Amino acid sequence: MSLNKNNLVAFFLIFFCFSMKGQQAESKDSILVENLDEVVVTATRTIRQLSSLPLPVTLIPKKQLQRTGVTRLNEILYEQTGIVMTPDATIGGGEGVQIQGISSDYVLVLIDGVPVVGRSSGNLDLSRFAIGNIKQIEVVKGPSSSLFGSEALGGVINIITEKPTSDTITGQISHRTATFNNQNSNISLNQRANKIGYSIFADRLSTDGYDLASGDEGQTINPFFNYTFNGRVYHDTSDNLSIFGSGRYFFQEFDVPSGASEEKDANAHLRIDHKINKKAQFEYEVYFTNYNTNEQTIDSATGDILFENDFDQNLFRPEIRFNHNFQLQSTLTVGAGYNFENLTRSLFADKVTFDSQYAYAQYDFSPVEKFNVIVGARFDNHSVYNSQLSPKISARYQLTKHLALKGSVGSGFKAPDFRQLYLDFTNAAGGGYSVFGKEVEIAGIERLQENNEIATLQVNSTELGEALDAESSIGYNIGLGFAKGKLNADINFFRNDFKNLIDTRILASKTNGQNVFGYINRESVYTQGLELDLKYRLIENLNLSAGYQLLYAFDKDKKDAIENGEVFARDPETLQTFTLGQSDYFGLENRSRHTLNFKAFYEIPKWDANANLRVVYRSKFGLTDRNGNDLLDNFEDSFVDGYALVNLVFGKTFYKHYSLQLGVNNLLDFKGNNPLAAQDSEVLINPGIQLFTKLNIQF
Amino acid sequence: MKTTIKFFSLLFMLVAFVGCSDDEDDTPDLDAVESSTASNIEAPQTGGAGTDEPEGGPFTKFSFETGAVTDSDTEWDIAFRGTTIAVNGGTVTGTDDEPERNGNAAVAIETGTFANITNADGLTFAQDADGSFAIPTGSDDGWYNYNSATFIASPIPGIVLVVRTHDGKYAKIEILSYYRDAPAEPNAFTDESRVYTFNYVYNPNEGETTLTTE
Repeated sequence: MSLNKNNLVAFFLIFFCFSMKGQQAESKDSILVENLDEVVVTATRTIRQLSSLPLPVTLIPKKQLQRTGVTRLNEILYEQTGIVMTPDATIGGGEGVQIQGISSDYVLVLIDGVPVVGRSSGNLDLSRFAIGNIKQIEVVKGPSSSLFGSEALGGVINIITEKPTSDTITGQISHRTATFNNQNSNISLNQRANKIGYSIFADRLSTDGYDLASGDEGQTINPFFNYTFNGRVYHDTSDNLSIFGSGRYFFQEFDVPSGASEEKDANAHLRIDHKINKKAQFEYEVYFTNYNTNEQTIDSATGDILFENDFDQNLFRPEIRFNHNFQLQSTLTVGAGYNFENLTRSLFADKVTFDSQYAYAQYDFSPVEKFNVIVGARFDNHSVYNSQLSPKISARYQLTKHLALKGSVGSGFKAPDFRQLYLDFTNAAGGGYSVFGKEVEIAGIERLQENNEIATLQVNSTELGEALDAESSIGYNIGLGFAKGKLNADINFFRNDFKNLIDTRILASKTNGQNVFGYINRESVYTQGLELDLKYRLIENLNLSAGYQLLYAFDKDKKDAIENGEVFARDPETLQTFTLGQSDYFGLENRSRHTLNFKAFYEIPKWDANANLRVVYRSKFGLTDRNGNDLLDNFEDSFVDGYALVNLVFGKTFYKHYSLQLGVNNLLDFKGNNPLAAQDSEVLINPGIQLFTKLNIQF
Repeated sequence: MKTTIKFFSLLFMLVAFVGCSDDEDDTPDLDAVESSTASNIEAPQTGGAGTDEPEGGPFTKFSFETGAVTDSDTEWDIAFRGTTIAVNGGTVTGTDDEPERNGNAAVAIETGTFANITNADGLTFAQDADGSFAIPTGSDDGWYNYNSATFIASPIPGIVLVVRTHDGKYAKIEILSYYRDAPAEPNAFTDESRVYTFNYVYNPNEGETTLTTE
């Protein structure tokens, strides 16, 4: 049913042959097909031309968002090279983004350069972000803590909103209807009159949801609705002073069978750009965000509250930045800020507070012609965990007119989160085990000891309360960029070494036979591989692109244990144990060795119509260890077979302002099969083919 | 891979067999080492995980000498209740309904394939004590791994329990399954748990530490 790997390879080969042929036909060039005006701000916090950057950056332009008819951030990201949206191993959980094999916990998400908060078990749900009113999405791959601090290990996703340009009121209103009664309406209005500009956006999404496991009660995705409101104002007070203000509010409610599930997310962002002279500029920024959830599970028979999980997180952050341009196109950027964070959560004993201060500096210069170097570092001082210094250096050398060499080495870190520090949780419904965050584990253990709930302490009592370190990584990227005529090609080799990853461990056993868990810095993992990106304009209005990622992601300690002959597996039939070899270790969960994408965008100007076909393939991946040795090996039934998703969209504009889209997502109706499903029942990987139509009126 | 392993285990057995036959003449009259599989040993418990009650209920006691479950208060070596395993040596740990420890049993938790653990000599043995079982309870700590995605407790492959029996003999056991009839892929919702299947090798000669049948 689904495309198999060989077909896809053939597909790519054909495409590649075409590219070669096209390239030979092309003799004179020197004008890049790719727009010179493709600029990004996330890589350096200054405006930089995409093609001249020394580090790997993916840019998703507005046009791609419009042509594909997607509505949420997660829907467009998984079509990009090296970016995977992974299902939660336990069915029903949210999707998580994975960049260079690094999971969602270690990816920072920004809107206009300021971070969004509100993670559930480390994962940020990207379907929260409507993409109706944005200019472009920028993804910087590899560690970027030298500019952005905590969480920027795997990469940074920055959603850039659009600044209004027109004197008259412009805007659009659209409605999209899709399978599963998925209804999305939005409206946006923009205007810029003299010095003042504004932009208003409102979006509503609702759906009946869907079910991947037919046998059980309830649905995998429960019906929900959500609203997003965003208002922005721009004021150019003088030639040297401009003000930007933005407010965003998101509200979502799930219709759960018994209980309630609500989610709110609000941001307020104010920035003042102050030019001192032609070369120097200050930026003053104040940002506040609140993330709030209210979850309740009610016993439908008795009406008792079984589980309550309320979450209320605030971040307030003033920051000041300064840019200075020197001769020879060199730029100095310095910045400093203060994070005030607090969280009230029903699973925590008290409201908890974090304070951190930071400062960073970056120098972007060209010591010789054709050679660009960016050096930078950031220092983060924190009230609870050890302070962090995060340096990064990247460089690009233009080898020939068409070929450039790029490389970067940078470090990233992730602060222990509130949960790892302050969780105080005893799962009464789930068997009576307890979990304590590092800062509360001494008090928690003492409390249980006083209640005579502790049978034995499994760790030395002096180890209790020993501070956690930040999780950290060093990322290496080296690659070549080629641009000639209609062809753009990029190849990038990456390696990310992670250490001090926080894991759980048993602190004590309880008299009820359960354990008390705590957190510890323990794991070391690495991800490495290569990314290949090709873009080619086959004929005037037909743009093709293809991408590939090869990925190896392993736990270093587990590899060592295998090397030492300490890891075993059991033959599922004979139940005999044998020693596991290095080649039997598949790697980390949820990582596909190969991911591929292919996209074709076609414009037919004389009909005012367009079409696009996008194919995404990921090879087999494992969900969880099932045979007891605590790692994914080739002997267990835990693997999801490789699959391809094919999306196809047709669009046509009528009477200049009305455009209609018809689209099919998952054209091949891939449903897949989850190996963790109970015997004689079926759990799907994907709900199958989804049709949509979208009407957009521009005015 | 699997064929290679089978080939090597065959080779190993062959070599071991040839090796043994050399000193056959010197061996005094000893009872043969027994190798067997104990299937579907039920180990129910009351309370514990998922309930408000403390873990309790009688342990299912097992004797290597008879190769069967026993009701004897003294002639038992190891005992099972849920995922908890007690040995007949040391003292009660303090949970409800534990049997009295009146023997000298002890256990050493070893890592390796079942075939490669060949002798109990020189191993460090532990006995149950106040507050702690010699075989630690809890996931990934003693003999099993609990997977919260599949709700399955799997015996950690490579864990071999070398047991000194209540009367000073030696045995080794490898737990194969915690589910009735040892299904290859147990299902937490349909397969009955707290039912042990394990391989064991028992040397019935007091003080003899050899744990192979060859």
